[in-house]
Amino acid sequence: MSIRAAEPHPVVDDHGDGRWMSVHTHFLRDAKEKEPEVVLIGDSLIRNMVWSPLWKQMFEPLHCLNLGVGGDRTENVLWRVLNGELDQIEPKVIALMVGTNNHGDTAEQVTAGIMAIVKAILDKQPASNLIVLGLLPRGENPNPLREKHAAVNKQLSDQLADTPMTTFLNVDDSEFFLPGPKGGDPVTATNGVIPRELMYHLSMDDGYQKLCEPLLEEIQNCLGTFVKVESTSFDTGSLSGDAAENKP
Amino acid sequence: MVLSQRQKDELNKAIADYLLANGFNSALEHFQKEAGMPQEIEKKFSGLLEKRWTSVIRLQKKVMDLESKLSEVEEEVNNGAPTRDRRSPGEWIPRPPERYILNGHRSPITRVAFHPLYNVMVSCSEDATIKIYLPWKMLYAVSCSADMTIKLWDFNGYECIKTMYGHDHNVSSVTFLPSGDFVVSSSRDKTIKMWEVATGYCVKTYTGHREWVRMVRVYQDGSLLASCSNDQTVRVWVTATKECKAELREHEHVVECIAWAPDSAQPAINEAAGTESKGPKRAGPFLLSGSRDKTMKMWDVSVGICLFTLTGHDNWIRDLVFHPGGKYILSASDDKTIRVWDTQNKRNHKTLQAHPHFVTSLDMHRNSPYVITGSVDMSVKVWECR
Repeated sequence: MSIRAAEPHPVVDDHGDGRWMSVHTHFLRDAKEKEPEVVLIGDSLIRNMVWSPLWKQMFEPLHCLNLGVGGDRTENVLWRVLNGELDQIEPKVIALMVGTNNHGDTAEQVTAGIMAIVKAILDKQPASNLIVLGLLPRGENPNPLREKHAAVNKQLSDQLADTPMTTFLNVDDSEFFLPGPKGGDPVTATNGVIPRELMYHLSMDDGYQKLCEPLLEEIQNCLGTFVKVESTSFDTGSLSGDAAENKP
Repeated sequence: MVLSQRQKDELNKAIADYLLANGFNSALEHFQKEAGMPQEIEKKFSGLLEKRWTSVIRLQKKVMDLESKLSEVEEEVNNGAPTRDRRSPGEWIPRPPERYILNGHRSPITRVAFHPLYNVMVSCSEDATIKIYLPWKMLYAVSCSADMTIKLWDFNGYECIKTMYGHDHNVSSVTFLPSGDFVVSSSRDKTIKMWEVATGYCVKTYTGHREWVRMVRVYQDGSLLASCSNDQTVRVWVTATKECKAELREHEHVVECIAWAPDSAQPAINEAAGTESKGPKRAGPFLLSGSRDKTMKMWDVSVGICLFTLTGHDNWIRDLVFHPGGKYILSASDDKTIRVWDTQNKRNHKTLQAHPHFVTSLDMHRNSPYVITGSVDMSVKVWECR
């Protein structure tokens, strides 16, 4: 039996404005003209990274191309990979994050979908390092979707263990949880509540920082270079403060 | 330190919130009793203490940055640079801040250039336009494009007077030969082509690069061409015979840009290369290359060796130009800076935070004290030299 999540499908143009295909065409042009060293591909979690201050300060200097499309499911990303988005480039690192939009698919089907994309990417770009990002927890409180994502992550971690040039990067769910019940006993383990500002979608600063920092570290490990912390002359954003905190 | 009553109250509430959030319950109880506070803590004080706590460090860093910037600028004003009336053409280098920011383009700037004689500059951009600043009579320019064509422009009437077809892929760079009768171009189709201006025909094709040729530059007397490529090599060609005279490989990434050293730079290059003072001086020609490996290399083309390497940029080097006085080299980089290099001492003499995004191109006027830069931030900046 075929699994839809693991077959290439373009998005059905429900609205009738053809924008998904326009974005794809745009990506093809970018791939032809830009010479990215790092490519991020996936759904809105990848797309919206460009609005985060981290993108401008940390990703852009690495010569990153963002091929994220909001709402994409595994079958859509697979279609894009098979239809040219990775054809004219020689990136050193590719990061993939998709699957959270696969409503109605089982954990096995989502995993099969992601593995199909992994195979397609490795076929197109055998010399690139591939980083597969695990799915993030969903919803304010523990729920079946979170369990499904945890199952997908477990399967990915097993199946990708022996895949060449490929790393599975999973940010632990607890990273996103509130630090213990408010006002309660600090010794009690976190109860799995995700703060409101992270729950709806990763917010610009806090959420992406939790996701991007390990990702950046992994990308830079692959590249063998490290971005110099910039002077703050162009920036008054939060990063300068964080940089200050990290100073000994 | 004296706090107003209101500030004291706020501080107490913030402390109470901190104690509560961290579960120091008995301390909280005592604190509230001693401070005579109500039991419940207002929402707006949640996390306030931590916020204030970190903001001090943040502001401290900001202050330190600003102070060091200020002292740099003061130094610049007092000692670093001669005043306008005492500047000399051999010594002047670009100084911050920029004199002008030109925001006409709608997409990243790909190239900026001065006219060799007149006070005219042009910029090109991914928005598919060329802009010319301060128009003049009797001007020609040649441009190249990702649409695989080369166009010759007469800025008298702003007309395209010739379009040259022949490359099979993006044309990445184009330049006139000294006589003005020919132009040479480099392309993503791995070739370099020479074109006759009068007819628009391709008269020579130089093949050998294994990848996209990024830039081609003609030696002062027109006898040699230099090119650099994604294949990580720099090549030198005999213009007349199409023979590849040298293949210079030492860069570890795409070589983005090259520049021939002017005669005025020879003494400084000899000094830098450590040529024995009694021995014969190297006469070059000398060629400088800049790469995505973040280094620049000076080559003695006559023997095909690298004399020295300049390191300091933190990202891809995108463009470079020799100071007409011969003592300095200027470079533009994706680390958002332009840098002035003291050739003789192989040293990064000055760094300018030029743009908030990659600096893609720069040029220096031959005899007026101006440098221009272009950036992915879509702006062109003019820097005055002192």
